[in-house]
Amino acid sequence: MEAILGIIIAAILSQNFILVKFYGICPFMGVSKKIDTALGMGMAVTFVMAIASAACWLVYEFLLIPLDLVYMQTVAFILVIASIVQFVEMALKKYVPALYKALGVFLPLITTNCAVLGVVLVNVQEGYDFLLSVLNGVAGGIGFTIAIVMFASLRERVDKSDCPESFKGYPLTLIAAGLLALAFMGFSGLSIT
Amino acid sequence: MNFKKQFKEGLLTKNPVTVQLLGMCSTLAITTSLFNGIGMGLAVTVITICSNVLISALRKVIPSQVRIAAYITIIAGFVTMVDLFLQAYIPALAASLGVFIPLIVVNCMVLGRAEGFASKRGILESAVDGLCQGIGYTVALVVVCVIRELLGNGTFGGGLLGPGGAGIQIIPQPFPAMQIVMPVGGFLVLGFVLAGSDKLMKYLEKKSKKKEAAK
Amino acid sequence: MKTESNVMYIIRLAAILLIITSLVAAALAGVNSITAPVIARLTAEKTQMAIEAVLPGGGEAIDFAPVDLVSKVYKGENGYAIEVTPGGFDNTITMMVGVDFEGKVLGIDIIKHTETAGLGAVADAETPAGQNFRGQFVGTSGSVAVTKDGGAMDSITGATITSRAICDGVNAALACVATLG
Repeated sequence: MEAILGIIIAAILSQNFILVKFYGICPFMGVSKKIDTALGMGMAVTFVMAIASAACWLVYEFLLIPLDLVYMQTVAFILVIASIVQFVEMALKKYVPALYKALGVFLPLITTNCAVLGVVLVNVQEGYDFLLSVLNGVAGGIGFTIAIVMFASLRERVDKSDCPESFKGYPLTLIAAGLLALAFMGFSGLSIT
Repeated sequence: MNFKKQFKEGLLTKNPVTVQLLGMCSTLAITTSLFNGIGMGLAVTVITICSNVLISALRKVIPSQVRIAAYITIIAGFVTMVDLFLQAYIPALAASLGVFIPLIVVNCMVLGRAEGFASKRGILESAVDGLCQGIGYTVALVVVCVIRELLGNGTFGGGLLGPGGAGIQIIPQPFPAMQIVMPVGGFLVLGFVLAGSDKLMKYLEKKSKKKEAAK
Repeated sequence: MKTESNVMYIIRLAAILLIITSLVAAALAGVNSITAPVIARLTAEKTQMAIEAVLPGGGEAIDFAPVDLVSKVYKGENGYAIEVTPGGFDNTITMMVGVDFEGKVLGIDIIKHTETAGLGAVADAETPAGQNFRGQFVGTSGSVAVTKDGGAMDSITGATITSRAICDGVNAALACVATLG
């Protein structure tokens, strides 16, 4: 129980995937211009991270370890993630068109989102069991969503601000992200004991 | 063969970090010491050159429908090789960069060069492109590292120079602001570096225009 | 006719991908066969060095079912070397704690960590600050804590979490030795 709560708190707050661990910065910068697209991206990432955590754990435990191919883990995981993204896209398109309409455009981008590969690699490195791996995936995804949505609402204002020419666009966006990260630093040390 | 133009693009006008904003995860995460910056930069450079060359060589064989899957497999292969070699021969660097070495697989810069350049050009040109982009990436990383290390720890050359590899102390304790080597500092310093490089580019552009006008 | 050529086309795509994947796998297997023994030797050396650093005279691994933070136990003529894995600021820290038969810490050595350079990483550095930090654990017994938590251990500047993690590791090792007797 303690381990479960610990993972949830770490993944969402004290070790937030974007603002503390720097996983998934590309979508964080690219898809955070509007709150609703940010929310869509966050949900798509959470969904894929949960499935990828489960699938990669199974692949690692029942394929890579028995075959003594642990050194192939990066290649195996990225292929699993790429296929999951492809399947999720096809399945959503066919069976849940409403959800596909909402998340569809973000799905192809997720293959190269380091949050997904990152969470899978950390799961293996930390030796989490199946349940904890999936939980870490879901909680990490929620942390990602919280950060990206929060940042999108900040950014809608930042983009209108009056600042020196050279700071327009990404530089100022990064500095705003830095200040958000500063706020999240307040959570560091938060732990269940 | 305009090597000079490609070099300038990689280093400044189309720098993967400061202009194209690719590979941001590692730029922010590992830039806390000079050793990390140089190590990461070189690893990415080697991987980009190798994957560019191989993808360029195979560009007529790989059908376009499955090209992304093929590229990712090839890149993941090279990344794993570099990872294994680092673990075996430079274990200190492997330990220091940790999970960010395997994460080079999803560094958009490597895939971006494969898709945007190597899949359309010749082998030699692609190799040069990999080298130039890699150097640009390394330089940007090193700049961020040097600033963060100096302001955050007051040292220069962490992991390489000084007693016990802790770097040469330039700003005495307790003046350095440790927040700069924390995640916050990554965002802040990169923001300022982006603005700085933008300013530099504008300045150079102005200068070359003046030169042309004088002619 | 059209469906057949479609099927052929898909098979061709799959075959090309399969060939690429197998080539990559073969190349990796080749590289791995070179690097695996080197990595295994390095890991073994590092563990051996850590044991010798914290336990004069070294020790041999004894049968021990991993509990809590303790993953391995080595026993020598001067005491135990306990490998513990507390959770640090970033990921898990792997460290070795030497404890004598009276339950006093003989020394600590960090094997693997991914703490922030210049902050948490000081715990593993061969600098005066790092050596002082590790040195203050020598001779302690019972349980340890950083000054912020009412203990006697000075934290590394700006790295309370790493310092706490190392205290956790030392405590786990001390508790483990208490059960071993």
